[in-house]
Amino acid sequence: MNRLPTLLSGIFLVFLTSWLGLVAYPAIQLGRLAPVADADNGGTLPPTYGGQAIAGQHVYATEGCISCHSQQVRQTSITSSDIERGWGVRPSVARDYLRDSTAFLGSRRLGQDLSNIGVRRPDAKWHFIHLYHPAAVCEGSLMPCFSHLFLTRKIQGQRSDEALELTGEDAPKDGYEVIPTSDAKNLVAYLLALRHDYPLPEAPVKKAGAAK
Amino acid sequence: MSHHTLPHHHAESGHEPLDTKAIDASVKLPVIILFGNAIHWLVVASLLSLVLSIKLVAPGFLGGVSFLTYGRLAPMARDLMLYGWASQAALAAGIWLMARLCGRPLGEGLGGVFLRTLIISATVLWNLAVLLGTLAILAGYSSGVEWLEYPGWASAMLLLSFLLIGIWAVLLFDRRTTGHAEVAQWYLVAAFCWFPWVYGTANLLLVWKPIQASAQGPIQSWFCGSLLALWLLPVALAAAYALLPRLTQNHLNRRHLATLGFWMLLFLGGWNGMDRLIGGPVPAWMTSAGVVAGVLFLIPVIMIVINLLGMPRHGVHGAKIIPSNFLHMGIYALIVVGVIGSISSLPSVSGALRFTAFTEAKTQLWILGAISLPLFGVLYESLPQLLGRECWNQTFSSRHYILTLVGIGMLVVLMILGGLFTGLALSDPTISFLNITSYSYPFHLLECVAQLLLCVAALFLAMNVSVALAGDYLLNKQTGK
Repeated sequence: MNRLPTLLSGIFLVFLTSWLGLVAYPAIQLGRLAPVADADNGGTLPPTYGGQAIAGQHVYATEGCISCHSQQVRQTSITSSDIERGWGVRPSVARDYLRDSTAFLGSRRLGQDLSNIGVRRPDAKWHFIHLYHPAAVCEGSLMPCFSHLFLTRKIQGQRSDEALELTGEDAPKDGYEVIPTSDAKNLVAYLLALRHDYPLPEAPVKKAGAAK
Repeated sequence: MSHHTLPHHHAESGHEPLDTKAIDASVKLPVIILFGNAIHWLVVASLLSLVLSIKLVAPGFLGGVSFLTYGRLAPMARDLMLYGWASQAALAAGIWLMARLCGRPLGEGLGGVFLRTLIISATVLWNLAVLLGTLAILAGYSSGVEWLEYPGWASAMLLLSFLLIGIWAVLLFDRRTTGHAEVAQWYLVAAFCWFPWVYGTANLLLVWKPIQASAQGPIQSWFCGSLLALWLLPVALAAAYALLPRLTQNHLNRRHLATLGFWMLLFLGGWNGMDRLIGGPVPAWMTSAGVVAGVLFLIPVIMIVINLLGMPRHGVHGAKIIPSNFLHMGIYALIVVGVIGSISSLPSVSGALRFTAFTEAKTQLWILGAISLPLFGVLYESLPQLLGRECWNQTFSSRHYILTLVGIGMLVVLMILGGLFTGLALSDPTISFLNITSYSYPFHLLECVAQLLLCVAALFLAMNVSVALAGDYLLNKQTGK
């Protein structure tokens, strides 16, 4: 192993094993997973995202939501708490991420898992207030305020339908209103679209364990 | 003066005596510039980490400003630690060690001037990429892929810069005058070949031209594991293999163990990253591979430890104590990394702890401990030789050493304990998530203290290096006139 070519070929061959297993194999096999037909409504699963939700993924990425939130529900013979906690009705599988631009798997749960946040919190208004000031709706939350995704402006004529229903210290001055920017609206559209409560061939939803 | 440290070992090989002064002179400028920049990024990254730890205690701290939210500062701090500090210091250490071990200056005459200019320009490019990448995350242009948050153009700049610098380390090996190759040199060749492969593949498939997201999970994990175990750790180990026998005036015994350790580390290093996805949305065999690799990783670690800690240390004295201590501590950190890594790869442990501070403790111990400590060792050993005089302020050196160790120890212990607490609580679905958050409060509070210590340590290091370089500048000015 004193010669460069010998050393390099050894290094190359050994390194190739993990590259083939963890890069080439996923790229070829998992990268070609296709949507499956949805028997209920003739659509496909996982469902496609709307335009706003697609833009919202970008906000999710740039705001670094992944620093604190995972998007994977685990269920093994040993780990069952994700589902018992109500974070999902079945384990996440590779096909679940098919419609995403980036798989936001995450590695730390300083906040809750968001795989099914659209199922748990289906109300856009709740999300807007939560993003604007998390502690207002979740006391003790570590989440920072994303008030920069909102605009405080003078009410012109009638109060906007989009204006947040803020109370207490968060409420804007009289004659002013807080409205979400397009980034906030897109992000919330994406969060509401995060729902993986449908069955996939490799991940059926058990009737007994289902939420409803 | 302590010029006897490096190549005398191989003086018997029949070639003309190696002129360490000429070798040092040929790499002095690039190595100092790389180390200098690495240290200022270390200071910035440590300050950001401190701010982040405060934010976990007081979420409103520096609140309401888009570019100071946790989600933007966290990737900035991590990437600065990885690319600004560790990778850049690894490049510096790699070039100096390789030139010394190969007994060859980095080019002679005009060729040498050209090479130095090239490497220094590439270093400027590297730092520009780190700066612009960091600012891009700050301004909201992060790619959102963990550890690869820099926008595509910034990571392309990093890769290009690495190729321009790294190729010379590999070519030096090919043209060495020492004949026989040392274990340290294998590690260096391997590391310098792996970075472009790992970083290039991951960027291509996740950032430049992302493949369908269903395939991204294993690639993300492979990248994070490989970046640590196949690029940064091998350079740190090369430093330990090259310097520890010389500092302690021993010969490396049980060389066969070193060979076996090298190939096993190389093999398992790539698979090791899969422990980040145990039980996750990947095929079952990948989870199994992650468990097996994580547990087996302890074996090469044990081999390396036997190799490097088996040497008596009574030969170390004076200015050699600090570098030798840093290198030794790096190996101790590696033991803990190996042990924690194999325990946390067990499915039951991973199931409970994978998303808690426990995982973060492991990452911190990798980056700050097993990787950074040996790199500090190289810095403390190389700079006096490059400058041709004892340049360290002993007070600053020992404060940096002590504060770094206490800081890392405290941080890692707190994160492990915090991780255990929250992990056990998370496994019990009757405890609400917000309740669990409140459990981690005391740990987060004390983590601020640990981060503060690490900040102060980094500042001591920065002062130490600044004073050394300023002294050198003044000395040159005097003798020049």
